[in-house]
Amino acid sequence: MATQNPPAKRVKREEYRRKVQAQQESTDGSAIKMPQKKFFRQRAHANPFSDHRLEYPISPAHMDWSSHYPAFVDPDTSKTNLSGGRKLTKEVEVVDIGCGFGGLMVGLAPLLPDTLMVGMEIRISVLEYLSSRIHALRSQQQCLKNKAANPSSTEPQDVSTQPENTESTPAPAPANDDEIGTEKLFPGNFENITAIRSNTMKFLPNFFGHHQLSKIFICFPDPHFKARKHKARIISESLNSEYAFVLRPGGLLYTITDVEEYHHWVLRHFLHGEQPEGGPAPAASSKDLFERVSEEELALDPCVRVMKFETEESKKVTRNKGNKYVAVFRRKADPEWPA
Amino acid sequence: MTGLQHPFQCLRYVNRQSAGQSDILIATAGRNLYSYDASSGQRLDVWPQPVDANVEDNAEDKSSDAAPASESQGPPEKRRKLSSPSEEQKDAKSEANPKGSNKEASNSWTNIPLVTVAHGKYVVIMTSEDKCVRVLSLDNEGKLQQLNARTMPKKLSALTLTPDENNILTGDKFGDVYTFPLIPSGEYVKVQAPAKPYEPSATNLTVHTKRNLESLEQQMRQAALSKTNQAERVVLNFEHQVIIGHVSLLTELISVTRPADSTVGKRNYILTADRDEHIRVSRGVPQAHVIEQFCFGHTSFVSSLCVPSFESKVLVSGGGDNYLLVWDWLENQILQKVQLPGAEGETTVRGIWDVSLEPTTDNADPVKAIFVALEGSSQLLYYTLESDNTITHQDTLQLSGNVLELVGLDSRGSILVAVDTLRQSDSTSAWKSSSQPPLEAFRLSSGKWAPVEEDSMVIKINSEGTSNLPTTIEEKQQKELNDSMYNLGNLRKRGDSDE
Repeated sequence: MATQNPPAKRVKREEYRRKVQAQQESTDGSAIKMPQKKFFRQRAHANPFSDHRLEYPISPAHMDWSSHYPAFVDPDTSKTNLSGGRKLTKEVEVVDIGCGFGGLMVGLAPLLPDTLMVGMEIRISVLEYLSSRIHALRSQQQCLKNKAANPSSTEPQDVSTQPENTESTPAPAPANDDEIGTEKLFPGNFENITAIRSNTMKFLPNFFGHHQLSKIFICFPDPHFKARKHKARIISESLNSEYAFVLRPGGLLYTITDVEEYHHWVLRHFLHGEQPEGGPAPAASSKDLFERVSEEELALDPCVRVMKFETEESKKVTRNKGNKYVAVFRRKADPEWPA
Repeated sequence: MTGLQHPFQCLRYVNRQSAGQSDILIATAGRNLYSYDASSGQRLDVWPQPVDANVEDNAEDKSSDAAPASESQGPPEKRRKLSSPSEEQKDAKSEANPKGSNKEASNSWTNIPLVTVAHGKYVVIMTSEDKCVRVLSLDNEGKLQQLNARTMPKKLSALTLTPDENNILTGDKFGDVYTFPLIPSGEYVKVQAPAKPYEPSATNLTVHTKRNLESLEQQMRQAALSKTNQAERVVLNFEHQVIIGHVSLLTELISVTRPADSTVGKRNYILTADRDEHIRVSRGVPQAHVIEQFCFGHTSFVSSLCVPSFESKVLVSGGGDNYLLVWDWLENQILQKVQLPGAEGETTVRGIWDVSLEPTTDNADPVKAIFVALEGSSQLLYYTLESDNTITHQDTLQLSGNVLELVGLDSRGSILVAVDTLRQSDSTSAWKSSSQPPLEAFRLSSGKWAPVEEDSMVIKINSEGTSNLPTTIEEKQQKELNDSMYNLGNLRKRGDSDE
């Protein structure tokens, strides 16, 4: 892989993505093929301190979600937000921070078909993949539905599953991570998930208002192993303040990692450590805003199963026989103002 | 006056009449802090005490021995690559520079960009290059004496106090807000974690590629070798707390108290602004981790925040946009958008100041003034706050040089403006051939701010001047001085980086 000639690879990628783009724009009613990950891979790290060239709304009230959730656009055309976009019938309330290729989003979509969910990812290529994937899933579901409604249709069967092989490279292994959605009908049609490119460390409050979210997922975050890179970690006491701002009291923040040290980092930044008996109370911090959810409760939460087994990264960890460390925190109510 | 002199960068007026003492004006220029008698303009003290001329000259080539504690407080050094365990070399560098933070490195800064005054008897400053927060006592005679010095990990962009004036609040270029006591309570003992042997957080369960496995092996070797390197680094060797963090360059930080009203009691807030257009409203200490609101509306960096003393509901903010925003800041509600002169992408707000004047014989009504200066502009914009909490442009004052700083002398019904003595009007880079007086005073008379010609304080201060620049000054030094005085333009995003 590393020895491959990069320009050739790039040319092929661009060609492929143009094709995907063209396919999405065509509206001939046939199902859209699943995108292939290999054309969208990108280095697993991005510098969160860099400006990039990001698009983000001035404020949550300016965010136009209508193109992201066409099935949830309010039929009343007079209802618009501050940037003139159509309003939705409900608010987005689940966020996957660093959603990667979107395994969690796709896994959760049928589980919570009436909840609007968004994956946020800083890497352009990965985001493009996920957007194409969601688009394809929706169109496949639509085709399946049409077929079910009209069984006499003579549409070619294999259009959605057969990877195209016009390229000179040897045929890739079947994209086995996307068998979901191709054969079976799922509740919600994947209309309730979308993906957005963003740097949440800087711009999360631009997308979501005070107490808007019920769940935040942070799955297999970049561990930033080196001590000098720890400041780039997505979990920190000051970022936890922002998560608390957008998360409603009672809302949950899910974390999972395969790095034990990072797991302890997470616990350390969400919970007060053991206090010495009779010692001074711990200094007030964003730790006061969260409590850990018990193992018993997690065992009953289907979201934890999706997080543990259906995200791309969790599958990779399973393949490599690594460990998975889960910690979920509940947002407590804000403390009383000091008298 | 001969040669070129440093302009005043910061001005603070210390009202001490309630303590039965005369008022004092605090000012910084170049690397010095000055105190003046506010009625006569008599210079009371200069800090640091001037040393004799020879030493002063040497002071110019700073930096070599200057960067003391801060250097060793940076992020951990990069580990050297080891090809095999036998090639170990003693890392001598790690033992260098164990310099105490209290020891005076008198030549380690060139300017003092941040000043605040506590209880009328302490002056808190940040000296620029050494990132040091210094607390000085200001005695009855206006003498200045340093009480303590604390080195911060990053250069500060804002410095203020908690409402009780017992704790310092700082905002830095990394986006963090720290709080620590004005006067440290006793000896600070850092809680020493027992020295743990270094253990890479990656394991062969988490990294798989050949190269990653190789570097993991490297780390293991390092760990086995460098037991000596494990002594904990001295970072922020004083009692402190990080209370707020932005993942952005923090530009401004103010502390606001809302008086009690019919529904809620008195409440303290901290307002912070950053390069990514955000204004954040957090609760005051000790609940600064609770974010109450974001004020959204700017489309460029925010550099100035002003909650007028006479109306704590209102915030006036400005930055890289060519407009000001007037807010009901607790509700994230824009009350008014005020167009500024100049094109979008060029106008930068340097400062916003509130001045309130009691009714006098000249002015029947109390005056609620808001002054706004733009970066590298010799004009001062004068607004008044109306009863509906919007602001109205009343007048534009023309000064003899770029406006750098402003302070209201409420008791006299006048303002003092520090102007740039070095650069030509409306330029941030072209220098004058000779200095001009650093201060100008204006007094409000029948609705107009008119220059005060015969203010004895201003005449006295201007005649004494500040410190001289070296007679020959190289272009490079000129540029450094320009950059340290006019640096807001660097906050603008260029939008050319991506991956």
